[in-house]
Amino acid sequence: MQEPPRFLSRRDLLVRSGYGLGAIGLHALGASESPSNGGFPNFAPKAKRVIFLFQSGGPSHVDLFDPKPVLTERFGEDIPESVFRGQRVTGMVAHQARFQVMPSRYSFDRHGESGVSLSELLPHTAGIVDEICLIRSVHTEAINHDPAITFFQTGSQLPGRPSMGSWIDYGLGSLNQNLPAFVVLHSVASEGPGGQGLLARLWGAGFLPSRHQGVQFRSTGDPVLYLSDPPGMTRDRRRAVLDGAAALNNLHFQRVGDPEIETRIEQYEMAYRMQASVPELMDVATEPESIYEMYGPDSRKPGTFAANCLLARRLAERDVRFIQLYHRGWDHHGDIPKRLPVSARDTDQPSAALVRDLKQRGLLEDTLVIWGGEFGRTPYAQGDPKLEKYGRDHHGRCFSIWMAGAGIKPGHIHGATDEYGFNVADDGVSVYDVQATILHLLGIDHEKLVYRFQGRRFRLTDTEGHLIRNILA
Amino acid sequence: MRRIGHLVLAASAASAVLPAASVDFGREVQPLLSDRCFACHGPDEAQRQAGLRLDLRDAAVTPSGSGRLPITPGNPDASELLRRVESADPTIRMPPAYMGHSPLDPSEVAILQRWIEQGAEYSTHWAFRSPERPVTPEVSVSSWPRQPLDAFLLARLDAEGLKPSPEVPPATWLRRVALDLSGLPPTPQEIEAFEEAVELHGEAAFESVVDQLLALPRYGERMAMDWLDVARYADTHGFNNDSERSMWRWRDWVIAAFNRNLPYDQFIVEQLAGDLLPRPTVDQRIATGFNRNHVINSEGGIIDEEYRVEYVADRVRTVGMAWLGLTFECARCHDHKFDPISQKDYYRLFAFFDNVPELGEAGRVANAVPMIPAPTLEQREAIAGLRDQAEMLEQGLLKRVARWEPTKGSIAALVVPEYPANADYFVGCEDAESEGIAGMACGSLEIDPVEAIALEKHGAFTLGLWIKAEAGLDDEPLFSAIDYSPDRASSQHGQGIELRVVNGEVELRMSQRFPSYSVTVRSRGAGLVPGEWHHLAAVYEGSSGKDSMRTQAAWVRLFVNGREHATRVLHDDLHSPAKFRKPYRIGHDNHPEGRRFEGRIDEVAVWTRALTQAELHQTFEAVALPWAKSRAGSRPERLWLYSALHPDEELEGVRNELFAQERGVPSTMVMQEMAGRRQTHLLMRGRYDSPGEPVEPGVPEDLLGPWPADAPKDRLGLARWLTQGRHPTTTRVVVNRFWQQVFGFGLVKTSGDFGLQGEAPSHPELLDWLAVDFAESGWNVKRLLRSIVLSSTYRQDSAVGPELRDRDPENRLLARGPRLRLPAETIRDQALALAGLLSDRVGGPSVRPYQPEDLYEGIVVGATYPGTTWVQSEGEDLYRRSLYTFWKRTLPHPAMTVFDAPDREFCTVQRSTTNTPLQALTLMNDPTFVEAARNLAERVLRESSPERPQRISLLFKLATGRPPAPAELSVLSESFEQLRESFVGAEAEANALLEVGASAPDAGIDPGELAAYAALANLILNLDEVITKG
Repeated sequence: MQEPPRFLSRRDLLVRSGYGLGAIGLHALGASESPSNGGFPNFAPKAKRVIFLFQSGGPSHVDLFDPKPVLTERFGEDIPESVFRGQRVTGMVAHQARFQVMPSRYSFDRHGESGVSLSELLPHTAGIVDEICLIRSVHTEAINHDPAITFFQTGSQLPGRPSMGSWIDYGLGSLNQNLPAFVVLHSVASEGPGGQGLLARLWGAGFLPSRHQGVQFRSTGDPVLYLSDPPGMTRDRRRAVLDGAAALNNLHFQRVGDPEIETRIEQYEMAYRMQASVPELMDVATEPESIYEMYGPDSRKPGTFAANCLLARRLAERDVRFIQLYHRGWDHHGDIPKRLPVSARDTDQPSAALVRDLKQRGLLEDTLVIWGGEFGRTPYAQGDPKLEKYGRDHHGRCFSIWMAGAGIKPGHIHGATDEYGFNVADDGVSVYDVQATILHLLGIDHEKLVYRFQGRRFRLTDTEGHLIRNILA
Repeated sequence: MRRIGHLVLAASAASAVLPAASVDFGREVQPLLSDRCFACHGPDEAQRQAGLRLDLRDAAVTPSGSGRLPITPGNPDASELLRRVESADPTIRMPPAYMGHSPLDPSEVAILQRWIEQGAEYSTHWAFRSPERPVTPEVSVSSWPRQPLDAFLLARLDAEGLKPSPEVPPATWLRRVALDLSGLPPTPQEIEAFEEAVELHGEAAFESVVDQLLALPRYGERMAMDWLDVARYADTHGFNNDSERSMWRWRDWVIAAFNRNLPYDQFIVEQLAGDLLPRPTVDQRIATGFNRNHVINSEGGIIDEEYRVEYVADRVRTVGMAWLGLTFECARCHDHKFDPISQKDYYRLFAFFDNVPELGEAGRVANAVPMIPAPTLEQREAIAGLRDQAEMLEQGLLKRVARWEPTKGSIAALVVPEYPANADYFVGCEDAESEGIAGMACGSLEIDPVEAIALEKHGAFTLGLWIKAEAGLDDEPLFSAIDYSPDRASSQHGQGIELRVVNGEVELRMSQRFPSYSVTVRSRGAGLVPGEWHHLAAVYEGSSGKDSMRTQAAWVRLFVNGREHATRVLHDDLHSPAKFRKPYRIGHDNHPEGRRFEGRIDEVAVWTRALTQAELHQTFEAVALPWAKSRAGSRPERLWLYSALHPDEELEGVRNELFAQERGVPSTMVMQEMAGRRQTHLLMRGRYDSPGEPVEPGVPEDLLGPWPADAPKDRLGLARWLTQGRHPTTTRVVVNRFWQQVFGFGLVKTSGDFGLQGEAPSHPELLDWLAVDFAESGWNVKRLLRSIVLSSTYRQDSAVGPELRDRDPENRLLARGPRLRLPAETIRDQALALAGLLSDRVGGPSVRPYQPEDLYEGIVVGATYPGTTWVQSEGEDLYRRSLYTFWKRTLPHPAMTVFDAPDREFCTVQRSTTNTPLQALTLMNDPTFVEAARNLAERVLRESSPERPQRISLLFKLATGRPPAPAELSVLSESFEQLRESFVGAEAEANALLEVGASAPDAGIDPGELAAYAALANLILNLDEVITKG
């Protein structure tokens, strides 16, 4: 792995070694070609990069991934106490006199050779079931958006911890010389720009040095903030400015000897390269018609989830290590029949296309793709249980996500929920387990990726997390 | 690899004293044991493995659970501890790999071995012993120290065999000190004047310039910058709604506190407990906002108690880091793993902050209770003046009324205005039996009309009624269209509109979920009494024509007897218009412990629009005057009649101006004690829903010193305990952080953790000397900073050769001066100052300078809450100092975070310093810096003599504080020549560059020439030297 010292200063390295990271610090210093690469990877990685398609708001597992005929049979009955088992409910439904069973109005069918059953709302995902591993038994403690999404992305319900991408950047460093290692893309749903607020902390570096924070690539304006030179500042002039600055920085370095200056000179060169590489990356005009057809009509419209999936593939091709997408609008407290199909339509085809596209380019074998939200939705109705118009509240006891690509067992279902889709029945998977497994696929032992802060050794997985062995190929 | 290894060892040697023959427990052994062993064999009883405890000597030298002796003093071979750490067998070796540890290296094992050989003596952790003033050490060069602190540093350099670096030229020192104390660079004129003064007066010139810098209002702004991180100040509430709050009056207080050099112990006392001081001033109450700066969650459906507990926990964490220098929060779920802080200790500290009348789910669109009106000085003066004036006029009126001899004729001639007949809803009480002011009046009554009161979308209404109480007026509903049903979980609970009387005042409640999402406004000084008829009315203007759909207290008017009244805002956090909820209750409510109004209520009327003052007055007089005419001798009827005959327009004018002023007063969140004390419980595993044993407020006295004998067991007592002279950590933590502000790191590098896992001080005697001296000087911050910046240590050149760089890469020994990249705020402020754009206005609400458009798109919550859009400021507000930039926690200004500013979701005592391409892009292209570059160029063209080298030199000198060396000037000239040529014949491009930003380019300068200088200025503003304090 070629790892140039772009996002890292020598001082930081020294600071880091001073912080007692032991092996990491020493290795990092020893091998100048791979500065941030200490004991990592701990073993041969399966994945070189990750694409996380985060579905913010909480997609309904019982309407999309986890068919429950019992819900139809017991439509309108109360969820039995033996199932409910003192579940914490949110203030949204705490006033409800009854928690009535709410079936899905969507039919489920088996697909592919694996025969994985999926909702009719996901026809394109149905086409890739033999590539994905569906996990139906994920669970989380959190019952509200902010803590739940923060937990999924940082390993803690409360703010302050580094995001998953930052941890990975910290552990593994970058794979390329022209782009950041951790890129974040947001999409606007066709329903509108609404949705639960996202938070910079989800791609923030927490207590890690802030250079590990994710870099947003935007669909309007500058794709990366302040990437474009101001009007009138042509490339030639910018080059002249940077050459002059480099020469002066160099002269100053001769006098004061601070290695930070050398690092800064390198950062300006990286910035200059990014000014070319990012627009090239974002310029999808060169993509053939067949690709647009694959990702769907939205893929021509910047800022959609489809367009971002296409960008995600281009980022993966350029060896960006961690590509984080967010799509909002899944928070369907009411009117699922109207709103859920919209969210599904926004994401189904592009997600499937991304997996296919990666595969046809040979990238799927070392790219890990993850699709999922912060929790699922209740098998009981929020408000009146009416098939033509029903809602569901947040549900953390069990929900579904899927993973595909590098090192993942394809065409596989892991875990099961009870007949109501309320509790995990078999092979429960905690969010920590998901995180541990993602790190594992990248060649990181999640117990070894530690950072000392405020006297404590912190990990993405805190003191928890077990590798989900059964989903590994 | 070998060379690098040497470097690292040297680095760690730099932070520990030279190994002595006898092992130092505190410096060498304890950090090892704490870091590698205590997590499982330390203070935390619940987690203790194998019954082995190593943090106490008595336990460590007696057989553990396995029956083996962990430590046999004097005999390493008979010590299980040593056997386990040395073992090659991973199943035996400690610490285990799964804890994230690597095995102890041989030098570490050797330390333990020698320590056990020497008797395995323990000692108290340095930070838990009160600091004593050490003797100033002897040094090799007695002329070098200028300040006592220099002797400590030089003594250490002597011991290390190092020499201090030479002193920097006066101009370099001046730039360094100006950036440190004012956050802005000196001007060339100031540099010249200073250089002359040094020639003339020598050392006195240095002292004088420091005193001048400390006296500038800029100083307070510079000092506030760091404190805002610690105090997690922001302009939004955080969490996924992240809407706007108003805490800038607290920020104003901080700036002023530094500027008037408020003794730092008072700085602590007022922020922790200003409200509990005897007769607290408004400013002292504003100061307590420190403990309300935490994030507040308004996500619908959260569990209230869960988040209320988080807020209390945040206060513990912040006070722990900011002043105690301990990671107290680590003892929230279990005993602290490293420091002797039990879980009970945690909840005893927690109890001090647990007694606030606050809500868990709050802050949807505005400040969360408790809050107070926090007028600025100007507002206070204006309001006091208007109040005096109004009172004088009122007295005059009352005197005239007393002297007034009403004649039958004048009263008979009095025209009674007609009752505005257009009330949309009216309760006349025809069936009632009791006599009212106008016909018959109601007692307590419930109305469930078919047709509910329907308000317009903007929510405006007027609600008026007459009351005559028989007794009470303590807390009774008058018109209650709000649901207080006992089912607190009901979605309708707390929804509606209500008019009440509380403590003789009229109160309007408009609510979505009382009390959290409500607007509650109460009159001030209405003095309602039983036995008299009063007309009461509330007007809500509604959001029509306003830029927000939210309901705001500022749009409420309360009227008593037809005259508008002063008000007090109790709650002001309602995102949507309120509605009258059926059924309507008169004289009672549906609260389970509801109160009943005893007396008569008459003429209940509702308009679905806001009545004007005149209309309300008319409403009042239409009923009051016919009644009063037959009772001209009694009060208050006499006043009503007199006023109808002799309207006092001057008084009404003054009152209206007063109310307008009062409505403009910003609110700020504060600390406040609840009426009765909330019983605090230890929370098992830190969970809000698992209360354990009850605990009382208290501190770990054995560890950190006794509670002052006469101090109350409240926040004020806590503040006194923290600031008592011999408190072991407070002064050390505070002086350490000021040291960090100047040198980039503290004498204790882990400035938020002085516990066992923190790093030992690099200069322990110096830290203690500074701490004791600080307390004895009366906690004088300016004096402390003055001694630091005037020291020889601070005056050293920051240049470093390879040898010293390898020996001490982080400059912990300070054998050279500090060289640090400027903080995010200072980078921008400096550019604006160099450009001549910087506003010098101090304080006030936050502003919104340039920020990329659409930054919030796809990210912020999809609701129209305040703080979810960025409406760019205009004029001077584009160029305020960066500490006034609107701080949105979930998405702070990118030019701040890219230069390592934290998001302020919680207390941060230390920023990281990184060096990234995104920083380069920001300085190259952010319109702030592009506009600054052009203005800087214009300034140079205005101020310099016209020769090109002079202009280029001045440009460089402005930004760096020094003239360019010949080699530098030749690079600059070459770059300029290239740029100038490139703009020849490219006027459109030149103009495009010049038009960046809101300020207009100087039309009198040739665009090509100006563009070339602007591009050169852009180059200079990007130099490492310019964004570095060197």
